Amino acid sequence: MSKQYQAIIVGAGPAGSSAALTMALAGLDVALIERGAFPGEKNMFGGILHRMTSIEELMPDFWTKAPLERHIAKKGTTFLTREASFNVQHETVNFDRAPYNGYTVFRPRFDRWLAEEAVKAGATLITRSTVDDLIYKNDRIAGVSILGRAGQIKAPVVIAADGVLSFTAQKAGLRRPKFNADQMAVGVKALIDMPREMIDDRFGLVRDQGFANEFVGATSGVRGGGFLYTNYDSLSIGLVFHLASLRVSGKTPYDMLNEFMEQPQVAKLVRGGRLMEYSAHVIPEGGYNMIPELAGNGILVAGDAAALCNATGVNLEGINLASHSGILAGKTVIEAHQRQDFSLKTLKRYKERLDLSWVMKDLKGFRNAPRMLHIDRIYNEYPELVCSMMEHIYRIDGTPKVSIPKLVLREVKEKVGLKNAISDALTAWRAL
Amino acid sequence: MNIDEIFDFTSFTIDREPHIVLDTTVCAGCDNRGCTNSCPARCYTWSEEEQKMTFVHDGCLECGTCYVVCHKSAFTRWRYPRGGYGVAYRMT
Repeated sequence: MSKQYQAIIVGAGPAGSSAALTMALAGLDVALIERGAFPGEKNMFGGILHRMTSIEELMPDFWTKAPLERHIAKKGTTFLTREASFNVQHETVNFDRAPYNGYTVFRPRFDRWLAEEAVKAGATLITRSTVDDLIYKNDRIAGVSILGRAGQIKAPVVIAADGVLSFTAQKAGLRRPKFNADQMAVGVKALIDMPREMIDDRFGLVRDQGFANEFVGATSGVRGGGFLYTNYDSLSIGLVFHLASLRVSGKTPYDMLNEFMEQPQVAKLVRGGRLMEYSAHVIPEGGYNMIPELAGNGILVAGDAAALCNATGVNLEGINLASHSGILAGKTVIEAHQRQDFSLKTLKRYKERLDLSWVMKDLKGFRNAPRMLHIDRIYNEYPELVCSMMEHIYRIDGTPKVSIPKLVLREVKEKVGLKNAISDALTAWRAL
Repeated sequence: MNIDEIFDFTSFTIDREPHIVLDTTVCAGCDNRGCTNSCPARCYTWSEEEQKMTFVHDGCLECGTCYVVCHKSAFTRWRYPRGGYGVAYRMT
């Protein structure tokens, strides 16, 4: 059994479904192949669905139709130690009205919906199908084979949107066979059931407002960070670890997640909740420097498969980059069909399009951010410094006060070292 | 959260055929065994007594950590499960 399509998209995540939607709207007959029982079944993220202006152009009613949770009106950062925490929060009415800056979503719902939109536009969704290999005819990509199944799915061009490990891109020779653990992270997440009113009261939210908080110092000295996001009636709480650092730490993600949720101030935030689901996934955090070859003869790479993830330490973006790259890949395939040329000569237009877009401009602009995140002091010494300094400033106990500049200097010297602090500040300045 | 009770809070459709296969003789000679602590689902356990690595794929979250962390290329197979099998998130 084999069927001929005009394009195959491997993976019905945000990149794949955006590509399928783009091509289907232009009248191409495309196959969107997903290994899950439904799109989104295998997907998790720790994150926020940010504005996606390119998909808004394809679907003007995107934000009214998509299955969203709360819009993020309030963002916070917490410096955490075992005993203490120091919070910085930002809230503005500008993030509390349309167009909203970002939403929390459940991937099994959101990804499924987006793939269905591609199907409504004419794409064929093939679920429960793990792509095994690319098939070639006369040295040209001619389609894909499915694991454990006879037959092939044929098309003159394939878009690899099969996620961070992209075996499709590897088989096409576009990504290196070995990943660098320095450029990869793993996120683990607990979904905590909690009544809506409790969330509203606890985090100071009304209507559909949501809160997103990042934590520094939550990872027992392992490079990484913590997050807490509000859904309508649940919390997403988790940790992200850089793999090179986690590997040698001897610590386990779940033990550290438990410790994080038991930290006295964090425990108050999750109290009364019930664990509903635990999930984990690798994240390409190497930024611009780890992007693979984006195009080859008969193949394009999009989304996490192309490492299009912007983890600057301030904002964490992925789905918006994935969707935009999927749309640009789709546009390039449409053009390739017009020319009837699926060679790199035509498909390399995809890379040119990406280079001109905010996706590559952002990744290039923040290409040094991963280096800043490799400063190990961020994950232990600096949160200790901030919390200890605040404790000294707030403490009134009948002893004479030290002036604040003197206190800062003393604490910096003691906790970090002056030289280190200056060098870290320079690294951070250059990175951001 | 007790990771040993992962089947109580995350759903799986378990395939009898493992999607990841290890050459455990390679693991015996590994100086790091970062997989044992890095795997978020505790699929890898090293027995100091028997000097043996055990891998169980049942509760695998298909996250990719071991694929990146293993620097000894101990996998004779590392692929995603057949379509329809493996971890099945409901909400997350």
